Amino acid sequence: MSVIAPDFKLSGFIKSLITDIVWALLIMSLIGIPAIMMILFFVPMPVIDGELLTPFLAFTYIADPSRTLPLVQAFMETDMFKIMAFPGFGFAALLAAGTIFVERKMLAKLQLRVGPFYCGKFEGILQLMGDGLKLISKEIIIPAKADKPIFWAAPVLFVASAAAFVALIPVAPGWVVADVDMGLLAVFAVIGFFPIVTILSAWSANSKFPFIGGIRALFQMVSFEIPLILSLLGVVMVTGTLNLSEIAASQSSFPWILFLPVGAIVFFITMLAELERIPFDLPEAESEIVAGWLTELSGMMYGLVQLGTYLKLYAFAALFTVLFLGGWNGPMIVPPLPMEIATHGLEMGPITVKIGGLESLFTQLITQEMLNGTLMFVLKTVGVIFFILLPRGVFPRIRVDMLLNLGWHKLIGLAFVNIFIALGLVYAGVLGPGGLQ
Amino acid sequence: MQTKLVGEIAGNYSTVVLMFGFAIVAMAPALLISRMISPRKKSNPVKFLPMECGQVPSGEGRTHFMMQYYPYILMFVIFDVVAIFLYAWGSALLELPKSATLPMLGFLAIMFGAMSFALYQSGRRRIW
Repeated sequence: MSVIAPDFKLSGFIKSLITDIVWALLIMSLIGIPAIMMILFFVPMPVIDGELLTPFLAFTYIADPSRTLPLVQAFMETDMFKIMAFPGFGFAALLAAGTIFVERKMLAKLQLRVGPFYCGKFEGILQLMGDGLKLISKEIIIPAKADKPIFWAAPVLFVASAAAFVALIPVAPGWVVADVDMGLLAVFAVIGFFPIVTILSAWSANSKFPFIGGIRALFQMVSFEIPLILSLLGVVMVTGTLNLSEIAASQSSFPWILFLPVGAIVFFITMLAELERIPFDLPEAESEIVAGWLTELSGMMYGLVQLGTYLKLYAFAALFTVLFLGGWNGPMIVPPLPMEIATHGLEMGPITVKIGGLESLFTQLITQEMLNGTLMFVLKTVGVIFFILLPRGVFPRIRVDMLLNLGWHKLIGLAFVNIFIALGLVYAGVLGPGGLQ
Repeated sequence: MQTKLVGEIAGNYSTVVLMFGFAIVAMAPALLISRMISPRKKSNPVKFLPMECGQVPSGEGRTHFMMQYYPYILMFVIFDVVAIFLYAWGSALLELPKSATLPMLGFLAIMFGAMSFALYQSGRRRIW
């Protein structure tokens, strides 16, 4: 019988515990709190209940429940919250994770398999977490003579490019990380990063299969960028703006897919090609060139590229929703928020609990419109994601020359047809000033 | 329409850069943690050879080879810029007089003609 710790003494254990706690408190009070104060000193603080928040008050408000909500609200209004959580990284990563699970399950059903089943009690719901743990604990093997700094940086840059793309997507009225006037052009600029990151990763691996895959990815993404750009020109012509929030807001009566279906179809096909999805998954063609430009990526590097790929998928689906399906517009199905709780307090028998700050939270930040807009946006985006995933179970892969032929001859021609449809709609007075609203 | 300073307009894009930076800051630790907790064994030099389906790799990894699609890249360089020029016209279409569309149609015709000529040339692969 083995003993885990033969010299174990309870008194010694308690003593070591107390020592650790004392040291932790000492370091926290001598270094930690001054450091937090110094950082907070340079952060612009909000005005709460008519007084400017100082670093000291920020600490006391956390202990005061009636002033916690205004603090939370002030935090939710900062750019940092938008970047980290709601319209930004956290929200997109959550939807991307959901997409991975749904894709595996749906593909399995299409091919009469079961899919992830054992991990987690219900239908393999924890499969993704298991895969993540597996990937993070696997060894990262870097091929000999690889260009190490670039090879390490490429997966991170891929995720970062996808995140920059996500930053431009408006989710609900006012809920967008970067509300820029040239939003659509910024999207094109960010899309231009992906081939560069791909070819960097492929070149630095010093291996043949990644290099062939990287060159294929470069040609594919670059060829389909022109139909992509031209197919969205129709929407810009009928709205007269490049701001994505304004484009989404302009579709309050009808989505543009009703008037510009050709552009929507061309954009959808080019979207599949930019995402390297079947039938355009030539850069990762597993039956021809092992795994294409992902061949030498192992462990968490591969995991990061997967995360970036699905973030990009979400961003493209969201862009389709914003441009053609009306973004956050839709029927109001979210019930009105319980304002009487905010104004009069929550009544539980003889006790009435007043929650301070809830009223301004409900009227300024989390309104009925915002919740409904987010719900509509997510529903439409999930629908578009479903149609992006569906071809994987239906179509075979096409040849490279067919791909280039499709992109350069057919899709560009159709994109021009779309431009002339938009021009005709504007000049016939159907859309634009004086037309349908 | 109120005028905006150039720095103001450029400053709007800072959140995109922040998001880019946040993703790097948030994702680089994943690689670091992976490097810390995963095994690292240099048992065999064959393990670090480039993947070539089980064979010992031969030749250079970064070879120069003929992709045969080079004309498409050249065309991309031209037509990507040209397509962006169309946006300047498209985004202002509602405010422009209708006569402004005529030169634009001429521009489109030239672009289309040039593109069809380039596509015709790219079909003749022997010249590349």
